[in-house]
Amino acid sequence: MRKAFLKRINEIIPNEPDTVFMTVDIGMWAIRETLRDYPQRCMNVGIFEDAMMTIAAGMASRGLVPIIFGIQPYLIERTLEQIKMDLAYQKQGINVIGTGAAVDYPKYGYSHYCAEDAAIIKQIPGVEFVAPGTPKQFQQLFNESYRNGHTTFFRISDHPNMLYDPDVKFGKATVIQTGTKATVIAVSVMLDAVMGVCKDKDVTVLYYTTLEPFDKAVLQENCKSGKILIVEPEYRGTLLDDIHAALPGKQLIIDQVSFPKEIFRNYGTYEEKMNYYGLNSKNISDKLEEMLDQ
Amino acid sequence: MKEISKQLRKMALRLSHKCQDGNLQSVFSCLDIVWVLYNDIMEWTPETAKDDDRDFFIISKGQATLALYPVLIEKNMFSMDEIISEIGLFHSRYSIQTDLTKFEGGIENNAGSLGHGLPFAVGIAAANKIKNLNSQIYVLCGDGEFCEGTMWEACIFASSKKLDNLCVIIDDNNSVGAMVDMGSMKEKLISFGFDVESINGHDIDEIKETFMQIKCRCNGKPKAVIAQTIRGYGSKTMMENDIWFHKSPDLNELRILCKEVDEF
Repeated sequence: MRKAFLKRINEIIPNEPDTVFMTVDIGMWAIRETLRDYPQRCMNVGIFEDAMMTIAAGMASRGLVPIIFGIQPYLIERTLEQIKMDLAYQKQGINVIGTGAAVDYPKYGYSHYCAEDAAIIKQIPGVEFVAPGTPKQFQQLFNESYRNGHTTFFRISDHPNMLYDPDVKFGKATVIQTGTKATVIAVSVMLDAVMGVCKDKDVTVLYYTTLEPFDKAVLQENCKSGKILIVEPEYRGTLLDDIHAALPGKQLIIDQVSFPKEIFRNYGTYEEKMNYYGLNSKNISDKLEEMLDQ
Repeated sequence: MKEISKQLRKMALRLSHKCQDGNLQSVFSCLDIVWVLYNDIMEWTPETAKDDDRDFFIISKGQATLALYPVLIEKNMFSMDEIISEIGLFHSRYSIQTDLTKFEGGIENNAGSLGHGLPFAVGIAAANKIKNLNSQIYVLCGDGEFCEGTMWEACIFASSKKLDNLCVIIDDNNSVGAMVDMGSMKEKLISFGFDVESINGHDIDEIKETFMQIKCRCNGKPKAVIAQTIRGYGSKTMMENDIWFHKSPDLNELRILCKEVDEF
């Protein structure tokens, strides 16, 4: 996904003179020629996310289309007031691409984890959050939205889905299959694991890659059972409010496969972390069976 | 004090009295600078306030936003009657700080949290370089505001990108002295790659002359003007009593303060 993004930067900067790319000292090798040839609009600005966010807001106020690249917790948690004041409050649109989704840097500790990314961004009205599941979906979602005038955060993962790669649209959930007994909400890189469990079951699977704005309509049309299993690679509860808002007055049975709200003090591999916290096929299967038995 | 300085201060007092809020000490320390910029220096009129190549004024020390309205009223961008009837009301466009989404020109940024206006101005300066626009960007900061890390991050970017269309004004009313020993702001900014001038921020002729000079300097360096100012300048009561950092006058105080301004 990272390669797909940087390849896109190599296309955009030479061809679209109103675009600006800034990185905080990552990804330079893949764009070294663009950095060399377009120094005014393609920059390794240095390691300061806070001011970079506001500088980008200033550029956006002059009609440019800034694209920023960095590591997820520093782009979101360090810069929260910049996002609120300079982007949301002033209605300035930039594109923020963050690597290090949830636990993509598994050995670096809590400084590099960001399971709270979408939950935080969803607290700031008007700011969008996108979590593609594959490189192709990153391209589709980015191309559709990077000029929409809104600030959009893109979470790119080093662990994409390898088996399922449906076309996606910005702001829309994709109906992967329909069934009668429950609705499974698969978010971003969790689609492979969800489909490994659900493909032969009588359940609906909805695939979400845009988390803000949340597509309420597709859920409303595909949740007759009132039973919902959320499978999301972020902190537990990130989408709960949207789901309740989409289905007001309806009695729901909801369960979640997600990261618990705790400080991760472990290291190891990505797979070890996902298994430890139950973001795997077995836990999805167990929770779904339990839900179907109710 | 010149007649215009008195007039602007009395307008700020009336606005603060009307909405019963404001940071008048801070407003009075920078009012002369804001006036000179709009009246003598900037390529800006209400008619060109949305032009792509206009000069920009960004207020980074948001607590002094009440210095902006009197100047923009004098320059015929807004009307005193309208502002004084609406300021601070629930659905008003006008309050103690600005919301640019409520305006079609005239207001360039939202301030309030310190450390935002300077990097925002740097972004505008960088964008205008990319767009090959011959416009100047003036940003008014407080000396205390330079405790914020984003100010120095923005300075690194501005000098690294040779933004000589940027002029950072430090309203140095010795706020920071009550907090920490910052040492020499001038030396710091020079070491950060700025072309630095120091002026008396209440001498309208000196302010004008300095900005005229640096406007013509295209030397690849961002500019900084350190303006020595006095909190509450123009009112003896305000200069002597720091309670006026965040206090609005009642009717009796309004009369007293206006009289002090007239006699200053």
